[in-house]
Amino acid sequence: MVPVLELDNLRVQLGRREILKGLSCRLGVSEGGGRAIGLLGPNGAGKSTLIQTKLGFHAPLSGTAKLFGFDCHRQPKEVRARLGYMPENDSFISNMTAVAFLRMMGELSGMPRGAALEKAHETLFHVGLGEARYRQLGTYSLGMKQMAKLAQAIIHGPELVILDEPTNGLDPAARLRMLTLIHEIKATHKMNVLLCSHLLHDVEETCDEVLILKDGQIVHHANLEEERRSNRRFVELELGGVTTGFAAALGTLGAAGVDEGEGRWRVVLPADIEIGALWRLAAERHLQVRKLTYRRDTLEEIFLKAVGHIRATPGDATKPPPLPPAMPEEVTHGRL
Amino acid sequence: MAVYKRGYQRYEGPRTGTWDRLMVLPRFSWGQLMSQRLVIAVLIGAAFWPLLCGIFIYIANHIELLAGFGQGFQKFLAVDGSFFKTFMIVQSTFAIGLAAMTGPGLIAPDLTNNALPLYFSRPMSRWEYVLARMIVLAGMLSAITWIPGLLIFGMQVGMAGSDWFSKYWNLGLAVFLGFAMLVILASLVALASSAWVKWRVVAGALVLGFFFVLAGAAQMMNSIFRDSAGSLLNPLYLLGRLWAAMMGIDSPDESEPGLWACASALIGFCALMIVVLERKLRPVEVVK
Repeated sequence: MVPVLELDNLRVQLGRREILKGLSCRLGVSEGGGRAIGLLGPNGAGKSTLIQTKLGFHAPLSGTAKLFGFDCHRQPKEVRARLGYMPENDSFISNMTAVAFLRMMGELSGMPRGAALEKAHETLFHVGLGEARYRQLGTYSLGMKQMAKLAQAIIHGPELVILDEPTNGLDPAARLRMLTLIHEIKATHKMNVLLCSHLLHDVEETCDEVLILKDGQIVHHANLEEERRSNRRFVELELGGVTTGFAAALGTLGAAGVDEGEGRWRVVLPADIEIGALWRLAAERHLQVRKLTYRRDTLEEIFLKAVGHIRATPGDATKPPPLPPAMPEEVTHGRL
Repeated sequence: MAVYKRGYQRYEGPRTGTWDRLMVLPRFSWGQLMSQRLVIAVLIGAAFWPLLCGIFIYIANHIELLAGFGQGFQKFLAVDGSFFKTFMIVQSTFAIGLAAMTGPGLIAPDLTNNALPLYFSRPMSRWEYVLARMIVLAGMLSAITWIPGLLIFGMQVGMAGSDWFSKYWNLGLAVFLGFAMLVILASLVALASSAWVKWRVVAGALVLGFFFVLAGAAQMMNSIFRDSAGSLLNPLYLLGRLWAAMMGIDSPDESEPGLWACASALIGFCALMIVVLERKLRPVEVVK
């Protein structure tokens, strides 16, 4: 089965700096399309460079990047014919109407004139710009421009849609609309999606798997579908008192916890254990519960662990690595 | 069914070929340019000189209409290399003006609006983009250069007959090739200026400056150094020399640069413009 994206020891150097340092992975291995891959990482991790390399904008120093089995550097036209790209920054032609802009982009992607015009109208209605489709793009608000960028990325029905920070600058309603559209692109129209975002919640809601980069290297590749199936719940506790033996006590409940220091604990609860059990356990051991934060999302946990901001996920089989002596306090405590 | 009722469906129909895709940008650009009144005015203005030349050819070939005029006047009416060179010089000023007016609007807005990633994320290379933009200019400039040039040449051939053609067939070729040189140079200069400064007005001024300010600078150099090597910096001089040579009317002074030097200088200018385009037209700016 041909994966959507395949990297083989990919190294990219811009100027004298090596940005991507030997990336290797296979993403989006599934039948029938409709796979969403999240690309995460702190600023400067190499996410944009990876996207631009996939678009054929940068030549690799060594290794290969393939999309649908086509080499991004040697076969750029085959690759680009199969994808749609929504850049992060403003990218449009200000003195064109949205319909003319989309029609031109459709034709540049290889659609015949008539089909491009028809799809331009259709796509603009789909993204909610139907009433504004004869307005010049330069007069659009930021949210409308984001939608227009999405529209130009999907007008030609590509096999892969690359979305670079699609919810940037959107108000909550527009953000929800954008996420709904991304979900539809994936689930209804069976296009693969590569979503690059700083917002973990957006990736969590839309993606099936996630690739986390740090300093130009892959630090984690997670299957979010499996994580969701495990239905784990995460609790952050801040306890007062002597917590010796608290980890063992959590084990009796079927939960697992990691001591983050200074009374801070990260606990994973299985699906059948109520939060009340934690309160009872703390009361039995005469511990003061100063803070209890409960959340269901797992991606934040995965991300923070991958980029080294927390030591380990409670209950993981792997032994947590020792903290480096010079690590700042806020990092030790798992805060960004 | 109305579009707004139909909903979005993924396009899975046929795809067009490379040439069709290449012509998309020229089609849209021509549409935009032809909606500008100033461009239309220049195109109409550029048609007057060929029209006058056509009338001249008609009169020259119906000399009986001017039987009362003297021998000197009849000699003035000769349609030869000098006639076509004069035609080309006048018409080339319109071409340069049109290139300065339309060229900067082709690339500068794409750079200002960061539209290049959108083009280059589609099956289109950087050089195809440049070629597409050159086709826009070449099409516009052709309409006022070699096309009317060949029309009046054909008119002269039709009126003067095969004797004239067998003697002056090279003029037709010279008109075509000479104007082709001008069109390529003017297009490259206009596109490079547009890519370099991004600001349309300044880019237009740069195009005019390239042709006319350089001519003045070259003249100044020649005067200061009492030499004619400075003429190699004058694109209009270079074009004029090559046109004259192709028409068989080139008679330079001994001190003037040779034809090969002129051709090399012209190629150098084109190469310089290509380097500017290569450096400026990138989908993403890499901060090294």
